[in-house]
Amino acid sequence: MICQIDTNNGIPIYEQICRQVKFAIANGSLLVGEHVPSVRDMATRAAVNVNTVARAYRDLQAEGVLISIRGTGLAISADALEKCRRSRLNMIGERLRYILREAMQNGVTSDEIHSLVRSEWDALQQESPS
Amino acid sequence: MNPVIQLNCVSKRFGKVQALDDVTLQIQPGTVCAVLGANGAGKSTAIRLLLGFESPDRGGIEVLGMNPHTHALEIRSRVGYVSDAPPLYEWMTVQEIGWFAAGFYPTGYQAEYDKLTKRFDLDPSQKIKGLSKGTRAKVALSLAMAHRPPLLIMDEPTSGLDPLVRREFLESMIDVAAEGRSVLLSSHQVGEVERVADDVIVLMNGKVIAHERLEDLKQSVTEVALSLPTVNTSPPAIPGNAVAHVAYGHEHVWLVRDLDAGRLADLCRAQELPQAIVRKPSLEEILLTLLRQNRNQHAAVMATPAALMAAKSTAHGQK
Repeated sequence: MICQIDTNNGIPIYEQICRQVKFAIANGSLLVGEHVPSVRDMATRAAVNVNTVARAYRDLQAEGVLISIRGTGLAISADALEKCRRSRLNMIGERLRYILREAMQNGVTSDEIHSLVRSEWDALQQESPS
Repeated sequence: MNPVIQLNCVSKRFGKVQALDDVTLQIQPGTVCAVLGANGAGKSTAIRLLLGFESPDRGGIEVLGMNPHTHALEIRSRVGYVSDAPPLYEWMTVQEIGWFAAGFYPTGYQAEYDKLTKRFDLDPSQKIKGLSKGTRAKVALSLAMAHRPPLLIMDEPTSGLDPLVRREFLESMIDVAAEGRSVLLSSHQVGEVERVADDVIVLMNGKVIAHERLEDLKQSVTEVALSLPTVNTSPPAIPGNAVAHVAYGHEHVWLVRDLDAGRLADLCRAQELPQAIVRKPSLEEILLTLLRQNRNQHAAVMATPAALMAAKSTAHGQK
């Protein structure tokens, strides 16, 4: 599991870790039952404060995405996949809202945004035919 | 637990320059504390006082419970210290300098040093003289960490180093803190500080202008940008504690603590102003604004009342 942290995108670092763990579960790079890296490993790998990772893991535990396995650390819970797939749309929605707000504040119209989304989406599909 | 570092009303003056001005602060064990501030703000002076290289004119200092004035050697043997230009014996090899330093520390130093240099991928047989800046810095860091100090003090350790070495320094700091040891880091790399620090201290002209948890600082500060219809429209009173206010023509930007965003939206609607753009600034932006604001205030204190009015109108008026 690779965590890319960006300190300039306005999203708190613990939140970025939460999101990336959830995305990794939703797209299958982390599997149900698999352990996440220990707090310290994750902190070193992502080069962020240990307490920040601990906070992210606490949040993920509270949401039921991670469960503590006695003596061995934290693992992906049985219903994490379902949960993360559901929250994937929510997270994308939040990012989208942020961009849409910027567009709205700068006087971009709804039609312009719709056609922009369409053309960007098509361009991305051309780029990586799946 | 007792703080690892404690400064009590500390002042230090070099000739006409007040390097530290009545500084009081505490650093708790197990935290990474970053000291930020412009060049000449007093960061290095503070560190030199902690290590007993200088004595304060006034005030009390304790490092690991000891007074640097009377226990400088004990403190230096307990803490790890990395400066931005670490002095090393040029004619020794990487291995020899570790062996040499081991003589000043309890057993185990050499083994830990070898482990660190190996982790940093250093060639033990290379002479210090021929090392690049980044490799030298890694030797200095290994020397500073080989006795597993409870407190690691770093004075701009990564200035001028490549991204890979900087990353390795960050990882080392994280390791130290993960073991419940403390790090005091003075740095201009704000992005790095943002990643690793628990607490931040902002120094300006020898004074502490902010000292708090990084998370709290970032959480509570919001940037509000508002484009008023004309230059002469007076801006609304911002609901919250406005730390700084800059105007570029009819565009106004505030840095606000504990903003009431709902009330701001209502205010703008009531006064028929466009909606304000609200966002979370990065630490770098917060720092820049704090420093600019304090510099203006500092200049204003120095100036006569007439000059103060002029300074205010330029700061708040046209660009």
